[in-house]
Amino acid sequence: MNGLQSLSNDLTAAVERGARSLFGVNGRARLGSTGVHWRQGLVVTADHTVHVDEEVTITRPDGRALTARVAGRDPTIDIAVLKVDAPGVEVADVADSDAVRVGHIVLALGSGPRASWGVVSSIGEGRRARSAAGDLFHLDLTLYPGFSGGPLVDVQGRVVGINTSGSSRHWQLAIPAAAVNRVVDELLRRGRIPRAYLGVSTQPVRLPEALQQKLNIDQPSAVIVVEVQSGSPAAAAGLSIGDVIVSLGATRITDPTDLKSALRPDKVGESITASVLRGGEPRDLQVTVGERPRRS
Amino acid sequence: MDMLVVIVDLAEDLRRVTVEVTDAEELLGSGILWPPGCVVTNAHVVRRPEVTLRLSDGRCLRARVVARDSDADLALLTVPGTGVPAATLAEPDTIRIGSFVAAVGHPLGVRGALSTGIVCAIGPIDRGGRHWIQADLHLAPGNSGGPLADAAGRVVGLNSRAAGPLALAVPMDQVMRFVRAAQV
Repeated sequence: MNGLQSLSNDLTAAVERGARSLFGVNGRARLGSTGVHWRQGLVVTADHTVHVDEEVTITRPDGRALTARVAGRDPTIDIAVLKVDAPGVEVADVADSDAVRVGHIVLALGSGPRASWGVVSSIGEGRRARSAAGDLFHLDLTLYPGFSGGPLVDVQGRVVGINTSGSSRHWQLAIPAAAVNRVVDELLRRGRIPRAYLGVSTQPVRLPEALQQKLNIDQPSAVIVVEVQSGSPAAAAGLSIGDVIVSLGATRITDPTDLKSALRPDKVGESITASVLRGGEPRDLQVTVGERPRRS
Repeated sequence: MDMLVVIVDLAEDLRRVTVEVTDAEELLGSGILWPPGCVVTNAHVVRRPEVTLRLSDGRCLRARVVARDSDADLALLTVPGTGVPAATLAEPDTIRIGSFVAAVGHPLGVRGALSTGIVCAIGPIDRGGRHWIQADLHLAPGNSGGPLADAAGRVVGLNSRAAGPLALAVPMDQVMRFVRAAQV
């Protein structure tokens, strides 16, 4: 057997292994998507493919249809978690996504199963890649229609991420398994996925070079607070209109998207430091991240 | 390194059994030298009773269409005296989803171009449609009728068209049935 046949056999084995925990998800009108049996009774998929709030029909690897319930969703990283009773369906072998490197051969799986292959093209680079999921995997492969929410697997068939083309038509992205684990852990811990909330409206603002030098920061922009909602965590922390937020915790805030990205569900209840400029002078405020009030 | 050499050799072997189907200097598509003394290609590639085949060694030979099935999109041509051994076929049902596959053809007039990928799915694209090998590799006009081969260089399908970025190939068991029915 030559090296190519050996690789080919590895790829088919990886598809077979990954396909054992693959679900079809019918969460939107025209095009179904894919889900992964992440933990026993929990199926992870791409949030943008689930247009319903309660029950959704999903299809087991053996083709049988089941009814699942939307257990929680985190639109900031495009992950939805469905609860389902699916005895006999294998739980995915989730690998350490921190071990993934640029150049690794990966397979994207869609329900059916279907498969495409390619390499990890970059990890977390470029402006579009910044997200609450942390570093995203940019993929040099084709995500065919219906592949969103499906697993990105390595050549051993272990799941290293969840594929999504939702945020942009031009990128083929995967959310690393570590970020998915955080969401699922949060769901198991609290019984739901909370939406983190600060209570400010902001706009991007340029930081003049002189100010950057004075503050010893290398950051061309930040956000200026244009509204503070009364009774919000931001109001309680003393944030005011006109404050310029430079960083939140360890995250540099260069535009309002960064602020959203910093407010991950697992941050709810945490006290974090907001570094702000008030009247051009730096000051640190402690903010306890709240939970976005749910619509009644 | 071993794998790169294997791909180069595989491409060479596939080029030898892939012909250019032309008509008055116009490229019509590709064809596979199989079975011996014959070439099989897509019906949409050959619309006249005779065409010219250009072999990989540069020789041009006239070929006659002896069977044509527009529904299956397959055509059989006889071309005696090529002196080139016919393509090796894979056993039926040996490829699976994820199998490495390689296509050779003449996309947009580029002679003997190789593209590689994996089998994305096997079956119809739409419910009730015809059975295809759906490959995750790029085809372009001129690839039609050329071989899709496995990692050992054995032909598994006949490339027929593209559906977006997806390549659609007629599985060789269908091609074999067509050739048998043509009684060559």
